[in-house]
Amino acid sequence: MKVNHISKLIHGKQILSDIDFQVKTGSIVGIVGRNGAGKTTLLRTMVGILDPTQGDVLIDEHSVFKHPQLKEQVIFVPDSSEALKNYSTKEMLTLYKSIYPKFDEDYFHKLMRRFSLSPINKIGNYSKGMKALFSLVVAFSTKAKYILLDEPTDGLDVIVKKQILKILVEEVSTNEVSVIISSHRLDELEFMANDIIMIKDGKVDSHYELDEMKEMYRKVQIVFNGDMPDYISQHVDILSQTGRVYTIMIDQQDKDIYQKLQEASPLLYEELPLSLEDLFVAKLGGDEDVS
Amino acid sequence: MFRKALWYQNYKQTRMIIWMILALFVLHMPFQSILSLETWQEREEQAQQIEDYVYEVQAWDVLQIFSQGLLPLILSISIITLACLLIGLERNTRRNDFTFSLPFTRKHLFLAKWCYGVVAISLFHLINFFIAYFIIYQSEYRSSLYLVSWIELLWGPLLGFIMFFTFALLIGTFSGEMISQVVLTISLGILPLGVFLLIQEMINVHFRVHLSSHIWIEYLTPFMYVFSITTSVQAILMPIILTGLFLWLAVYLYERNKIEHNGDFLIFKVLNPIFLVIITFCFSLLGGMIVSSLAPWNADALRILSYWIGFTTFLLFSLLLANKLLSMNIMFKGKA
Repeated sequence: MKVNHISKLIHGKQILSDIDFQVKTGSIVGIVGRNGAGKTTLLRTMVGILDPTQGDVLIDEHSVFKHPQLKEQVIFVPDSSEALKNYSTKEMLTLYKSIYPKFDEDYFHKLMRRFSLSPINKIGNYSKGMKALFSLVVAFSTKAKYILLDEPTDGLDVIVKKQILKILVEEVSTNEVSVIISSHRLDELEFMANDIIMIKDGKVDSHYELDEMKEMYRKVQIVFNGDMPDYISQHVDILSQTGRVYTIMIDQQDKDIYQKLQEASPLLYEELPLSLEDLFVAKLGGDEDVS
Repeated sequence: MFRKALWYQNYKQTRMIIWMILALFVLHMPFQSILSLETWQEREEQAQQIEDYVYEVQAWDVLQIFSQGLLPLILSISIITLACLLIGLERNTRRNDFTFSLPFTRKHLFLAKWCYGVVAISLFHLINFFIAYFIIYQSEYRSSLYLVSWIELLWGPLLGFIMFFTFALLIGTFSGEMISQVVLTISLGILPLGVFLLIQEMINVHFRVHLSSHIWIEYLTPFMYVFSITTSVQAILMPIILTGLFLWLAVYLYERNKIEHNGDFLIFKVLNPIFLVIITFCFSLLGGMIVSSLAPWNADALRILSYWIGFTTFLLFSLLLANKLLSMNIMFKGKA
């Protein structure tokens, strides 16, 4: 699946701007960004709900907007099951079987049993966790190649989250499915995503493979005699500061920074494990300006 | 055009109104024909008691069963509701996201809605028509059926309902949500005749001239096809032409829908100024008509003055109202 220079203007505001990336088969792509960055708009555009102002989404080199039947290979799971809340499980089965030709009914029942989901007359009567699990059960039963999930674990308890993350990883490894997830839960993405796409102000701020991304930066706790010298602060991302104790992120490509740090003779220099959250804070905004 | 999933989805979201429409058709034709036969019999018995008076069923009596009266009005309201549940309510909720994410072209999505409604209306209409026709045909009043033409009895009302349903769906392709679809279907459904009456009244107040109506104004008013069925060929031709025209335009607009504007009054922002002008113009004329009617009939100068007071007052109101309407956004948000 290829997202080809997508731009989207809504109510005169540029929501997405020249978004360009590719989703490899059998991978989990995390789309991260702050509230209002355009993550949901991107997913809705990728599945043809919204028309892009510019650009295209290609599957097997064909546009999903010109050939909507290609969307048999894609399923979008929104953050709410509002749209189909009045359907029974049986009706959902009938509906999805008639939409997705590869729908696997046996697999559907198997997953329902696995997650102890009993048939119900109204999906809306399931608990929030059960609705989220049910949406995934339906999505994976369609045997679609690309599964787009919008905040799949938002507001769920730990047990359900673990179940969801487990099935996601299993599906990707066994069925060659590609999963594209927009999420705020960076710890979860860190655990499973291969690729991370960071979106800032509707643009791709950075796109890395997670391991490669971690190699590119170092997280360091550092203490100076006084304040951090300007010639250093201008070249690092300050993740946090408590008194004279700074937690900073250093770009490995900046070759001169280590020389400068040595010259500043810090009282303490200690490397810390780098998390996706650190990268998120450094790349997409500090603690103070949360939107 | 026949995609099982889409028909299933359409039926699921309109199940209740579909059965209501069926019930209304049953009441409208078969049930009403049974009651009418009883009424005609009773009238005939009463007539026998009066010397030199013979009761005869009139064409009007027969038309009441098949194409006139209150039930066609209730049916047309139900048809608007059906169209609104198929398009408008999708926009107010998140169902539109689901529908547009399906592997079907937007043309298919729209045509599935149209075919679903047209098949339901036609089927219900035809079945109930023939039952009602048979009830009268096997009775002693069989000859009354020859007083009216098949255009008046069957084709006019059926084509009128189909055209009106297509019109209500067309409105749904450019209105942003359910309430605006209802409001616009009703107001645009009577617009040509309504505007004519308002202009007629304005000319009458100022010049004491009564502008006579033209049959084409009625032909261009969609609501008229539900109530006023004539025997002319136009009664068949016009609904067919209008259905074709509305369907083509509706598909064209639905394919170009920007659903990020769902919940707004209108989907296409380019239409905002046009509707602003239409709303304020019509409301102002209405205001003039209402206030001038309060003045004494023979006081010409006072009537004209009242007209412009009403016109200006309603102009200001409608400008405020139209601005609010065109900037509103209504979305129903349920729990996740």
